[in-house]
Amino acid sequence: MNPLELTLGIMTAVGGFVDISELVFAGKAGSTFGYALIWVFVFSTVGIMVFGEMSGRVAAVAKQPVFNLMRHRLGLKLGIVTLIASLIANLITCAAEVGGVALILNYLTDAPYMLMAIVSTAVLMASMWVLPFKWIERAYGLLGLFMVTFAVALVAIHPPWHQVAGGLVPHAPAGLSTREMLNFAYFMVAIVSAVMFPYEAYFYSSGGIEEDWGPKDLPMNRISCTVGFGLGSLLAISILASSAQLFGPINVDPQLPGTTALEAATPYGKIGLVLALLGMLFAVGGAAIETCMANAYSIAQFFGWEWGRHRKPWEAPRFTIAWIVLFLAALGIILTGVDPMKLVEFAILFSILVLPLTYLPLLLLAGDKSYMREHVNGVVGKTLGWFYFAVVTAAALAALPLFLLTSGGQG
Amino acid sequence: MKPSAPIKLVGQLLDLPIIDRDGNYSGIVDDIELTGSAGKETRIAALLVGPGAYRGRMPKWAMWLVRKLAGDRITRVPIGEFASIDSAVHLKGSADRLGLHRSEDAARAWIPRKGAM
Amino acid sequence: MRASLLLLLPLLAACAKGPQADLQYIAEARSLAAEWALVNQQAAQGKLTDAYVTAMRTSLQQQANTAAKALTQPDSDYAREMRAIAAEPLDAAPDELRAHSDRLKTIEDQLESA
Repeated sequence: MNPLELTLGIMTAVGGFVDISELVFAGKAGSTFGYALIWVFVFSTVGIMVFGEMSGRVAAVAKQPVFNLMRHRLGLKLGIVTLIASLIANLITCAAEVGGVALILNYLTDAPYMLMAIVSTAVLMASMWVLPFKWIERAYGLLGLFMVTFAVALVAIHPPWHQVAGGLVPHAPAGLSTREMLNFAYFMVAIVSAVMFPYEAYFYSSGGIEEDWGPKDLPMNRISCTVGFGLGSLLAISILASSAQLFGPINVDPQLPGTTALEAATPYGKIGLVLALLGMLFAVGGAAIETCMANAYSIAQFFGWEWGRHRKPWEAPRFTIAWIVLFLAALGIILTGVDPMKLVEFAILFSILVLPLTYLPLLLLAGDKSYMREHVNGVVGKTLGWFYFAVVTAAALAALPLFLLTSGGQG
Repeated sequence: MKPSAPIKLVGQLLDLPIIDRDGNYSGIVDDIELTGSAGKETRIAALLVGPGAYRGRMPKWAMWLVRKLAGDRITRVPIGEFASIDSAVHLKGSADRLGLHRSEDAARAWIPRKGAM
Repeated sequence: MRASLLLLLPLLAACAKGPQADLQYIAEARSLAAEWALVNQQAAQGKLTDAYVTAMRTSLQQQANTAAKALTQPDSDYAREMRAIAAEPLDAAPDELRAHSDRLKTIEDQLESA
């Protein structure tokens, strides 16, 4: 294992972990419920580690990405239902990320939001056109490491560490009213959805094929998923904990992503603010690219087209046209004037509804000896995989009622 | 697995990706053409690739939509063209020779060949 | 029959009018006023860039306006409070904005315990 490759892989996973939904929900979770939802972030991160590792392993051993084999497993009809559902969920998510990038550029420059949406879409599309896959992933992942500012800022504001640690223990705060309990339940579902977004499995699995992974890369896959996602999750938890310390006591439940950046401005002033905004910019920008590519991968793989950014755009022309059209569609949604924070809510909702359909074929494939040979799911993988499948299925069933009853977590 | 061996049509063949000898993705096994009849040996004659092959696998209204969006062409890949079958169907020859890259080639005309690393 | 009523309950909740239905907008405006106060306070301390302050103040005011217009009870006390927030100048005093937020918090708590 090349230590440099491994380090870069981990750092990319760290910097690429947080997206606009996690930013928003981590901030609100902290201000509304203090440290009580930290354990849900940890719990969900273990889930994405399990499925991330599985999707990388399927790519490395079966040499086919999840969506190719998904259609084979589910058949044409159910496969098309899954494809359409995940396209809708990922497109809404992509639009939310594009809107998020535009908002962050607005905070950095005070340039008009709609203009920034057009400019940022053009820049993101240009980087997808010019850069090969590895450099797209590395550039946004490593630049996303500016998000470490939030972890440093948390230490600087001296939170009550014993209470932060207490948040690791699964519990609900005592004395909640029925309405607050429903809100807490909605936040649990929303965090599971935000951390385990379907596009992550599609992107990670296809990325493994793009980078020509084989069985020799399995250790790196495992370490990237566990260490990389684990450290990335700490950044989201830092946002939550800072919000609990700074915002909860003063009636702030961050309504704008820009408010989250105040967590770094409070201890470090302008330099903290700018570093935090840069971290958010690249993390959310990277997520915009990942969601767009995940959708293009899904379409191309479902219909057997050439795909991948390891090829030049003209070598996979239908795939190229697909991601261009999808990015423009995401921009189109933003240009209708819809509030990107509303899109975040819908992205969370649609994604959790699609999650069981996403992870079921992956579980079946990773447990199939005819594809995976000696790298098939062991006892631990099977147990954790089916456990988290049950969790996302339960979350999917509860999501819509909770969304309606709590007005999307607004109480 | 060799193409001449017994095979589970749904579990091991239908909806698999097709990859040609140069490693290019060349469609999905959308349907299978069989020879034989009741009481006689059944053999795979060819794979059918293309939106037209969805007929019989989707409800009529969905097939109408498919036809409007993507047409109803079918490309036939005879069994003699298969090299092996595992997580994909691997072809002996190039996809171009079998007419499996027509749509890809048509789309290529729209993509400028510059600027990418 | 009972199962279908249970399924209808969340939909009915979403279509409700009155103070309970306005609770989400009251909570939103309460937070927006508090965020605005925090931005103005930290701006006065020199902790924020000019671009950020301008962009955030504009967004916060716009959101407060949108929340006030979404209410189902436009003649209520909380509606008047929310319109007052939206009418504040961009560089309003943090204490003034926090007072708005505190008053909305009181109304919010009363409605939640009702």
